[in-house]
Amino acid sequence: MKEIAVALVGNPNVGKSALLNAISGSDIKVGNWPGVTVEKLEATLTYKDYKIRFIDLPGIYSLRNQSAEEKITIDFLLKERPDVILNVVDATNLRRNLYLTFQLLELEIPMVISLNIWDEAVEKGIIIDYEKMSKLLCCPVVPTSAKNKTGINQLLEKILEIYESKKFVQCEHFESQIEEYLKKVIVLVKEYNPVLLDIYPKRYLAISLLEGSLKDSISPALEESLEKIRNEIKSLYKKDVKTFIVEERYGNVLSVYHQTVKKQQEDVVDSSITLDKIFLHRYLGLPIFLLLVWIVFEITFKVSSPYVEWLDKVLSVVSGWTLSLLSSINTNDLLKSFIAEGVLGGVGFVLTFIPVLFTLYVMIAILEGSGYIARAAFLMDRFFSSIGLSGKSFIPLLLGFGCNVPAVYATKTIENTREKILTTLMIPFMSCGARLTVFAFFVSVFFKNHGGLVIFSLYLIGIITAVIVALLLNKFHFKTQSEFFIMELPPYRLPTFRYILKNAWIRVKSFIVEAGTFIFAMSVLIWFLTNIPYGAKKDETILAKVSQKVAVIFEPLGFGTWEATASLFSGFVAKEVVLSTMGNIYVGEKIEEETKELSFQEGVKEIVVEFVDANINLLKNFMAVFGFVKVESEEEFNKSLADSIRSAFTPASAYSFLVFLLLYTPCLATVFAIKQELNSYKWMFISIAINFSSAWIMSFIVYRILTFYNF
Amino acid sequence: MKTLRDIKPGQSGRVIDITGCEDIKQKLYDLGIIPGVKVEVIQDAPFGGPIKLKVHDYCLALRKKEASCILVEEEK
Repeated sequence: MKEIAVALVGNPNVGKSALLNAISGSDIKVGNWPGVTVEKLEATLTYKDYKIRFIDLPGIYSLRNQSAEEKITIDFLLKERPDVILNVVDATNLRRNLYLTFQLLELEIPMVISLNIWDEAVEKGIIIDYEKMSKLLCCPVVPTSAKNKTGINQLLEKILEIYESKKFVQCEHFESQIEEYLKKVIVLVKEYNPVLLDIYPKRYLAISLLEGSLKDSISPALEESLEKIRNEIKSLYKKDVKTFIVEERYGNVLSVYHQTVKKQQEDVVDSSITLDKIFLHRYLGLPIFLLLVWIVFEITFKVSSPYVEWLDKVLSVVSGWTLSLLSSINTNDLLKSFIAEGVLGGVGFVLTFIPVLFTLYVMIAILEGSGYIARAAFLMDRFFSSIGLSGKSFIPLLLGFGCNVPAVYATKTIENTREKILTTLMIPFMSCGARLTVFAFFVSVFFKNHGGLVIFSLYLIGIITAVIVALLLNKFHFKTQSEFFIMELPPYRLPTFRYILKNAWIRVKSFIVEAGTFIFAMSVLIWFLTNIPYGAKKDETILAKVSQKVAVIFEPLGFGTWEATASLFSGFVAKEVVLSTMGNIYVGEKIEEETKELSFQEGVKEIVVEFVDANINLLKNFMAVFGFVKVESEEEFNKSLADSIRSAFTPASAYSFLVFLLLYTPCLATVFAIKQELNSYKWMFISIAINFSSAWIMSFIVYRILTFYNF
Repeated sequence: MKTLRDIKPGQSGRVIDITGCEDIKQKLYDLGIIPGVKVEVIQDAPFGGPIKLKVHDYCLALRKKEASCILVEEEK
């Protein structure tokens, strides 16, 4: 079986990943390009006697080798030299798309053009003579629609055909005078730097040399002759070479465009322009945006919560089964506790994220696929440009108030690397739902009369710290205050249901595989710390011993006790477990979750019944989003813990503790999400360091102020 | 000389030249904003935010700062 490597190249928003979805089955792998935050999609397809490997290269507008996306693409195309380039082109927007096509042809790699979004072009009354276009460009052109799955087989046939013929025909496209100059450059290269011809395709090399954009060092003699040619061109055309070549390419684009494209009506009323009149309206735009974002937020967390609870129930049934199984074969208590709490606890923790992430990815696919995310950036840009971000950061930051983990994954909609890193580092300061449970408990103990104010102040401290961190990083690390903001506003489109679900599933799968193993391993480790030596007194476990040593660093913050320190350790794993750890340490009783021992049939019955319940709750929550019904919230209050905490903290040290809890690393899952999304351990550790140091500094300031005023 | 910043929403201009730093110039070139091309200003964002343009067959957003790098000749 022959293997063919096909690289998908095209502008952003031309439906490249949708096309990849339509071509291949469900075996698409998501990952990152090495060393950068840019996403990499790959899929393999067996077709006839061939194994075709598709690599989706990042969306770019040109091969200028400037942005991270352009560098990845040009590097891949020149170094890996795929067998075939599949240039995906938006048939409704040819005048811009074909510019990249002409640059790709300069690489002299066999190429097939997919005129994608063909369905929309037909709808709009755009008639494209693709056969003529194929003749003009000297490569096959196939109309496709990823949405309707049309043209896929013809595309595959053309790929095989061009692969077998190994043919690449370069049509010379520039004005003859320029073509002469390009030939001259090649002659010069042969004379002075012949090695370059082995590395680069001829035409690409000649143009890059002439533009002066090649990164390799060249001999001074060659540079001198090049400079001479540049000056000749400049005096001949009254333009510098770079501008001249760009205009030549556009000249070619327009010539092909006018020869092949006919519009039945000139300038039909564009539905996107009409929709933008509403969505980007001066006064209505922002309120509509805030409303939509609120709906996204509510759906992400409310739709998933019944399933989180259901998975929790399933897990308790499974651990019930496991415990009865272990008892029946007389396992000792240590192993029983390890499996039930350490192993199953770890699995349970990973599982709780799955419904949230799946819902989030569905929401993102809708926001991104519909084109609305660019509108959000447009509307919010004014507010974020002052801290060196663009409006695209708003949605991830907002999601952070629900849960930091999906928020970090939501930064995948930010293309600019610097903005993405900044936003990701700001997210942990957004106080999530899990932290609120701890705040609420402390507030009920210490600040009953000013509860709302205290909680509000904590949220505010989080936001202020995030802004300070962003400003400092911009000033000292990135050293740029604001980059330019030039962004396409793609037409509104309806993403297909199949694409949305498949896309969400692929990403959740990659979370389970990568983050899952990491989080699981860490929770098992924490179990060891808190339970070994087994049966020891609460202040003799490894965790307690370590906490006793570390506690001194919290002395200046007002809570330098080993109990508080140990609670913070467990909070590093997840904020959800802080209260139960505190109960365990301060009160000395384990707040045990009930594990019923069930027979197999009873267990299965319970799982099914609970699943039905979850769906009913889903419906209720869904209605609650739109205000039809009210969901009752449960409140847990542990009296003995409250008493112990009241004697262990003063109001000032309690508030300082809360500030620390708010700002330091939110949880293991977030830590790993940062690693996965930024594709770097370095930024993961930087994030942890920033969180800890800012938590310490802010708590210190707050505690000193409060004690100064005698709280 | 007028820049794109001076063009009111609903009106259009023809690009004459692009000034400012090389990066912005190249980026605009990549997106098809080159001398001779017609650019229509469609809308602007609230609070002095970015503006929305139509170039060729698509729409683009850029900040006012970038808009003032694009020299244009107003068209009726």
